[in-house]
Amino acid sequence: MNLERMPNEEKLSLCRRYYLGGFAFLPFLWLVNVLWFFKEAFLKPAYTEQPQIKSYIKKSAMGLILWVAVLTTWITIFQHFRARWGEVGDYLSFTIPLGTA
Amino acid sequence: KNCVSGGPAPDENSSMSRVMCVSAAAGVLSSSVEQKIYVELNETVPCVRLLNATHQIGCQSSISGDTGVLHVLETESDLDWILSSGPHPPYMVIMETAFFNRSVMMRMKNSSRVAGVAVIVSKTGLADNFSPHTTCPNQNTGVYSASYGSDLANCNVTMWNPLGNGLSYEDFAFPVFALKDENQTQVIRKCYQDHNLRVNGSAPQYPLCAMQLFSHMHAATDTVTCMRRTDLQNRFSINPEVLCDPLSDFNVWTSTRPLNNSAKGHAANESVVIAATRLDGRSFFWEQAPSAEGTVSGIVTLLATIQALSPVTQEAPPPRNIFFSFFQGEAFDYIGSSKMVYDMERNDFVIDLNNVHSMLEIGQVGLRRGRSLWMHSDPRKLSLFSHPSVSQPLPPSSFQRFLRVRGIPGLVLADHNTSFNNRYYESLYDDAENLNVTYPPDLSPDEQLVYETDAAKSLAEVATLVARSLYIQAGGEKKNLNNITADPKIWFLHQHVSDCVRLLWFLGSGPPQFYIGLGPRIHGPVHSVTRFVQYILANLTGTVTNLTESQCQNPSEVNTENKDLFSYFWVSGPASVNNTGEPFCRSASVRLSKAVSPAFELLEYGSPNYSIIPQSRWKSIRARIFPMLTLGVGVAVLLLSLLVTYFISSKAELLFSSARETPATTY
Repeated sequence: MNLERMPNEEKLSLCRRYYLGGFAFLPFLWLVNVLWFFKEAFLKPAYTEQPQIKSYIKKSAMGLILWVAVLTTWITIFQHFRARWGEVGDYLSFTIPLGTA
Repeated sequence: KNCVSGGPAPDENSSMSRVMCVSAAAGVLSSSVEQKIYVELNETVPCVRLLNATHQIGCQSSISGDTGVLHVLETESDLDWILSSGPHPPYMVIMETAFFNRSVMMRMKNSSRVAGVAVIVSKTGLADNFSPHTTCPNQNTGVYSASYGSDLANCNVTMWNPLGNGLSYEDFAFPVFALKDENQTQVIRKCYQDHNLRVNGSAPQYPLCAMQLFSHMHAATDTVTCMRRTDLQNRFSINPEVLCDPLSDFNVWTSTRPLNNSAKGHAANESVVIAATRLDGRSFFWEQAPSAEGTVSGIVTLLATIQALSPVTQEAPPPRNIFFSFFQGEAFDYIGSSKMVYDMERNDFVIDLNNVHSMLEIGQVGLRRGRSLWMHSDPRKLSLFSHPSVSQPLPPSSFQRFLRVRGIPGLVLADHNTSFNNRYYESLYDDAENLNVTYPPDLSPDEQLVYETDAAKSLAEVATLVARSLYIQAGGEKKNLNNITADPKIWFLHQHVSDCVRLLWFLGSGPPQFYIGLGPRIHGPVHSVTRFVQYILANLTGTVTNLTESQCQNPSEVNTENKDLFSYFWVSGPASVNNTGEPFCRSASVRLSKAVSPAFELLEYGSPNYSIIPQSRWKSIRARIFPMLTLGVGVAVLLLSLLVTYFISSKAELLFSSARETPATTY
């Protein structure tokens, strides 16, 4: 889908759809939103819909950063402490590596 | 792309066939390329991982094997080279026998430069003693604990195995293999001498000889964790991975008067004297346990006792029954005896503890000093003898498990007064040589079969003593005692069991190994040693019947036979001059009873009362050696091949133009 050939209203609605979709536990939609519309929002000359697109991009970026922080923290804790948690660690795991704690 | 004219069809076909020919040749060549690089070592024995309630013991390798540069450990300077000064870590240590001891192995364990160890198993350079077992065997599962005889517990009074270095109970993060075949060891040494030797103190150059050992174990941490993870796998996984298996096999038992096998619990009007010994052993390596002094001396003595007693107990049966039992798994916290006691307590066995009058156990009896034999009893319960000066606890023995639940009078016979006489307890080197079994040099194998060695005579003396004592203990009359004598020729059972048994079942070569193993669920048929003892007992105590094969397998259909009292074996007869070896049916009151720790039936995997030692499972165990090149050479080859490819593809037209110039046609 080439953004160059789209009218501005369609760009705005596409951006809004991706923004709203990300709330369904889909942070990758926000990532795509930010990467795809970044040029549109900040580097193109101003047009009517641009402030709204900018706000969607900023909110998507904040949501994305929050998700990344939460996931990184949990993954680090789990990888570090799973062996120490014994039974709880085993019940939380999908696959348990063979031969190590 | 250039569409070069294909010319007529046959040209294309021939080039296609040329391509196929080359790729087929490449396919054939690639398998032999692997053979040209790697030399598989087949005669190796790994050390595997076992677990207990709190620890993991044994050895572990990485999932894709551990690789290291070979280095033979022959001198102290080699040890320094490996641990600190050698320039090509990690090293794969080929350890001469003299260096396989606790201090060297612990230094290896703490070093990050050791990828694995391969121990050369030979008698040259063997130290005066080597026992990888603990100094106080089975100290937590015997009868002495904080609540009973706490001053006698934990070997406070007598250290039974003072030469033990505890290596079998250490946890190694690298694989340890044993090299048992001398020819293979020579191959490894040659590879080392050709490539890896230091020249005048300077480091050897690439290519170096390297070895890779695979022994990745599935189990980890401890028994509770392993069984829980196996359970999770079985419940939630599509392809469940089993991580560990409990050690299990069978006890063998028989009795002078047959007992009704289908009537469990208390047997009416039966008072039983138990004569017991152990059936298993272990060593540092998996499934290696020659256990000559530790186990075989007891087995052979009890078999000789049974043989000595059987004619007299038929003619003049004593009032009490004599129950003979061979317990499996005693090396691992008394698996067999704890299971039998557990069954007796729950009325799940042919007799129960109220039937037991007394017990006599045969411990290690092969290394008697002179003609002395020692009787050990529990100082707390001295019903048989009154010796107030005795304050030494019982040695590790199955009798302790019976004492834990009932104060049965009993004795343990042994060749040692305080510590073991066995300097190679539970190790690879506890073999016939440890028992001083020697033959005059000019005997043929058949003559050796019937030669009475000193060891045989010594064991026969013990067996005679045990047989007469059991007869008296069972209430027999003293006038029959002189007829009870053990035959020293029973010794052939150990020395030539490999020949003897190979005729009947395929055991493989070499002396029998007494490691308990994993039982029929996993390991195929019943462990060969257990089966062997069962059949020998049937031979010694059974009677020949004239049943046919189908009757032998279904004896309940024949009304003269009683399958509750006897078991029936269809065996081939001995081949001799006047006998063609026709098979026949033998009936004997010999039975097997399951020997698996009660903790695994109760699902109490952390139980301190029973043995909870499972063995890990693994996918593949192998070893191979190969020449190793540096990474630089590999990268150089890659760059060179890229250059050549680029060069050829840029000059393709020049190099591959056909001789006939035809006008280009586009398709």
